Amino acid sequence: MERKSLLVVDDSATFRQLLCMSLTRLEGISQGDITQACDGADALNKMQSKAFDLVLTDVMMPNLNGLELVSRVRSELQSRVPIVIISTKGEEAFVEQGMKNGANCYLLKPISLPRLREVVSGLLAM
Amino acid sequence: MSQRPEDILKVFSKSEELLDMIQRGRAFTEELMSENERLRYRLVQMEAERASAEELHKREVEKLRLEADLARQRADFLDGRFHEIEEENKDFAQRYVEVEEQNESLANLYVASYNLHSTLDPQEVIGCITEILLNLIGAEEFALYVLDEETGELALTGYEGDALTMLHADRMAVGEGLEGMVAASGEAFFALDTGETGEVCACFPLKLKEQVVGVIAIYKLLAHKRQLTELDHHLLELLAGHAATAIVSSKLYAQTDRKLKTWEGVMSLLRES
Repeated sequence: MERKSLLVVDDSATFRQLLCMSLTRLEGISQGDITQACDGADALNKMQSKAFDLVLTDVMMPNLNGLELVSRVRSELQSRVPIVIISTKGEEAFVEQGMKNGANCYLLKPISLPRLREVVSGLLAM
Repeated sequence: MSQRPEDILKVFSKSEELLDMIQRGRAFTEELMSENERLRYRLVQMEAERASAEELHKREVEKLRLEADLARQRADFLDGRFHEIEEENKDFAQRYVEVEEQNESLANLYVASYNLHSTLDPQEVIGCITEILLNLIGAEEFALYVLDEETGELALTGYEGDALTMLHADRMAVGEGLEGMVAASGEAFFALDTGETGEVCACFPLKLKEQVVGVIAIYKLLAHKRQLTELDHHLLELLAGHAATAIVSSKLYAQTDRKLKTWEGVMSLLRES
């Protein structure tokens, strides 16, 4: 099976670890396939030096927030990598903005990890 | 009247013919009677056979009816059993989902508690508790009160939510307010609904064995989180234990570190003098 590389962006180390642990339960994904970034700027740097198959990002982060990150990935990097936003911000305006900026999916925290795996599997299979 | 010999012979001949005809008729009649007798016998035989066949048919029909009834009963039984098994199956599937959810939650708690205990910096511990309440529980506004051993009051150590500082005191006595009552009793409180802004929807003590070292009060859940589930209650109670240990450990470490630095300063002064 082809190896997939994932980028997890969240300023909460605990949540990043949780996502990593959950994602490694997916077939063909090991801890080594997942890169972590602590904010949008860090993520953008990492994406400039490496191509990822999927990005999971929080919204509320220092330096560069998740919505701006999505926008810049689409406009500056010209990348069509699938992006999943995972946020506590469930207001319609945030969801709309996220999708408008180019995210493929918007999930709410606290997240159901089986649902997350379902979404990630679907996007990786595309 | 005299008859001629030819006529007489003719009469004889005719009477013989007649006699012969009568004899043949007799033989034919006897044959007919015998055939009739045979046919009657055959008829009786056939009627007996028919009666026997009808009896057999009736018995067969009865047997088939019984078998059909039995088959119907078995079908009903199997149908009932099928539904029972289907229900059981659904139940198992439901339980599987629940166990899976519990597993996920325990895994979450494992990572959360691992991070809680990975630092001895009190601020990092508070930050970690805040992250857990926000990201794993779905609490939007909450406060963490830690027991000040010197004054015996609960001191607001960490919080999330803009309205909190306006609505709640920085310090409160044990036994005062819902948070103080939870600290005094050591029993968790869970409201039936999420409440209005400022009202406590969950408050649970941070306990080290039976000693209360603080409380966490949740005032508001995220908009898309309707209420705390049974699993959330369980997780919060488990988290409370880990948070209490982490807070006390980090406080003790900070105190020890301060004392060490003070003694190092004193020693350095003594050496210089």
